[in-house]
Amino acid sequence: MIELREVTKVYKGQTVPAVDRLSLKIPEGETCVFVGPSGCGKSTTLRMINRMIEPTSGTILINNKDIRESDPDRLRMGIGYVIQQIGLLPHRTVAENIAIVPRLYGWPKEKIRKRVDELLELIGLDPETTRDKYPSQLSGGQMQRVGVARAMAVDPPIMLMDEPFGAVDPIARNYLQDEFLRLQREMRKTICFVTHDINEAIKMGDRIAIFNKGRLVQYGTPHEILTRPANEFVSDFIGYDRVVKKLGLYRVADLAGPAGCVAREGELPEIGRLMREKESDVAFLVDAHGRPCGFLTTEDIGGMGDEISPQSLMQKALGRRGAFAQREMVLRDALSLMLEYDTEYLGVLNGGDLAGVITLSAIRKHSCRKEGE
Amino acid sequence: MNWMRFQDALFHRAPAALAVHILMVLISVVVAVVISVPLGVVLTRPRFRRYGFIVLNVLNMMQTIPGLAIVALAMPLLGLGLKPTIVALVVQGLLPIARNTIAGLYGVNADVKEAALGMGMPAKKILYEVELPLAMPIILAGIRTSAVYVVSVGTLAAYIGGGGLGDLILTGLNMFWSEFLIVGAGLGAVLAIALDRALAYLEYRITPPGMSSE
Ligand SMILES: Nc1ncnc2c1ncn2[C@@H]1O[C@H](COP(=O)(O)OP(=O)(O)O)[C@@H](O)[C@H]1O
Ligand SMILES: [Mg+2]
Repeated sequence: MIELREVTKVYKGQTVPAVDRLSLKIPEGETCVFVGPSGCGKSTTLRMINRMIEPTSGTILINNKDIRESDPDRLRMGIGYVIQQIGLLPHRTVAENIAIVPRLYGWPKEKIRKRVDELLELIGLDPETTRDKYPSQLSGGQMQRVGVARAMAVDPPIMLMDEPFGAVDPIARNYLQDEFLRLQREMRKTICFVTHDINEAIKMGDRIAIFNKGRLVQYGTPHEILTRPANEFVSDFIGYDRVVKKLGLYRVADLAGPAGCVAREGELPEIGRLMREKESDVAFLVDAHGRPCGFLTTEDIGGMGDEISPQSLMQKALGRRGAFAQREMVLRDALSLMLEYDTEYLGVLNGGDLAGVITLSAIRKHSCRKEGE
Repeated sequence: MNWMRFQDALFHRAPAALAVHILMVLISVVVAVVISVPLGVVLTRPRFRRYGFIVLNVLNMMQTIPGLAIVALAMPLLGLGLKPTIVALVVQGLLPIARNTIAGLYGVNADVKEAALGMGMPAKKILYEVELPLAMPIILAGIRTSAVYVVSVGTLAAYIGGGGLGDLILTGLNMFWSEFLIVGAGLGAVLAIALDRALAYLEYRITPPGMSSE
C-alpha cells in the first residue's frame, strides 16, 4: 500500500507549489492513475514516491513505512520505474538493459539469463532474435516493451509508470494497454500510472486521481468519476461523452441475455410462429454447421411473418451477418455496431458460437444506472 | 640544398630529437588527461556544477595565452630543461580535454540518466557504466585536439632547453640551414598527423556499439 499524507512540493525559486497538500491511499494490488492537464503535478508526485524528488513537507509511506527511512538507491531498486522516454542504455543490449536491476541485486548470471528470456517471452518478443539487439535496432513499441520488462525484472511489488505509452502511435498504444492489463490481471502489482489522457485513465485505472494545479480534485473508481464528477473541472475534463466513456468500462457479457429463438434456413416460412412460441423478439439464423449468420426481428416479419417471402427474409437476416459482438467487446463498441447496422439487437458470440443477445434498451438502462444499483 | 647536411639532420640529429619530442608529448598529454578528465567529472556533479562555468572561463583564458609566452613564463619560475617544458605543455593541453569532458558528460541523454537513477543505480555506477562510456567519444576527440596542439607547441620547448624537434628548427634558424628546418618541421607534422590518426582509430574502436550511426 502507498500512502501520501499532506504532501507538498515547492520547487526552489518558485512560490506556487507544484503539488499542494496531497493525501492519497493506493491499496495493494491496484492500479491508480494520476490524470490531469500538463503541469498539474502528476510527475512530481510520482517522482516523490521513489525519492527522485524530496517533498517540501508531508509524509509518504509504503506498507506503513516512511520512505525517508530507506536508502534512496535501495528503495528504487525495489520499485519498477518506467518513463515515457524509456531511457534504455543505448550502449547496452536488450538483455543487458533488462539485467540492470538483477545485477544490482547480485543475482547469479544463469538466473539473470533465464529471467531475461522469460520476460522477453512475457512481453511478446522473441528472446532468440531480440536479446542481443541494441535499442537503436528496435521499433518504438518494442523499446517501450523492453522498458516495461526492465522495470519488472526483479518482480517488484510496486511500479511507477510516467506516461509509459505516451510516445507510441495510437494503434501500438492500444495494443500495449491491452497487453499490460492482461499482465496486471495476473501480477496484481500496486501501480501508479501517470497519463494526461482521460480515456487511458478510464481504461487502465482501478482508481483515478484527477489533478488540477497541484491539487487532488477527485479520487475514485472510473465509474464513480464518470457518474458523479466532483465539479465542473472534472466534468469538463471528462468531456461531453462521459456516458459513452462509461460504456467503455463494461463488456457485452455483462448485459447479454439468452438467444431465445434459433432457426435454420428451412424454418424461415414459419419463423413468426417460432418467435411467438419462444416469446422472443429476435430469431437467429444458423447455417448447416450451427454457425450464426444473421438474425431477424419482429419488425422484419411485420408481426405476422407469413406474407413475406422466405428469400427476402433470408436476405434481411444475412444483411446482419456483421451485427454480432464478442462477449469481451466493450459496450461502447457494441453501441457503435448497433448504430452502424441500424438495429436494436446484436448477437453475442463466444468465439464462433452464438452465446446470446444484447439489446439497445439494456445498454440504455445500464448507462442511466447509478453506482451500486 | 646540401645533401650531406640533410642526411646529418635526418639520421644523426633527428632520432634523438624525435624520441625526446614523443616522450615530452606523451607525458604532457597523459598528465593533462589525468588532471582534466576528473576535473570535468567533478564539475558536472550537482554539487559543483555552478563552478563549471567559472573554471571553463579560466581555462579558456589560459588557452588564449600564446604557447611561446607560457614557455617563456615557465623558465623564470621553473628553470630550464624538460620539466618546465612539460609543465608548460600540460597547461596548454588541459583545456580541450576538460572542455570536451564537460560537454560530453552534459550531452549524455537526460532520460537515460533519469531511468538509471530511477532503477536504483548508485551515482558512481551511473558515472562509470553510463555517463563515461557514452561521453567517451567526445572526450577522446578532446584528447586528439590536445595532442596535436601539444606536438606543435612542443617545438617551442627548445627555447628553454627542453630539446625535441625544436632543437633542429632552432639550429636551422640560427645557422640558416634550411635542411634542418625541413627535417624538424616535417617530422613535427608527421608526428602530429600520426598521433591524430592513432587517436581517431581509438575513438572509432571505443564508440559504444549501438551508438555508431550506421
Ligand atoms: N525540476 C523542476 N524545477 C522547477 N519546476 C519544476 C520542475 N519539475 C516540474 N516543475 C514544475 O512543477 C509543475 C508540475 O510539473 P509536473 O509534475 O512535471 O507536471 P505534470 O507531470 O503533471 O505535467 C509545473 O509547473 C512544472 O513547471
Ligand atoms: Mg509529466
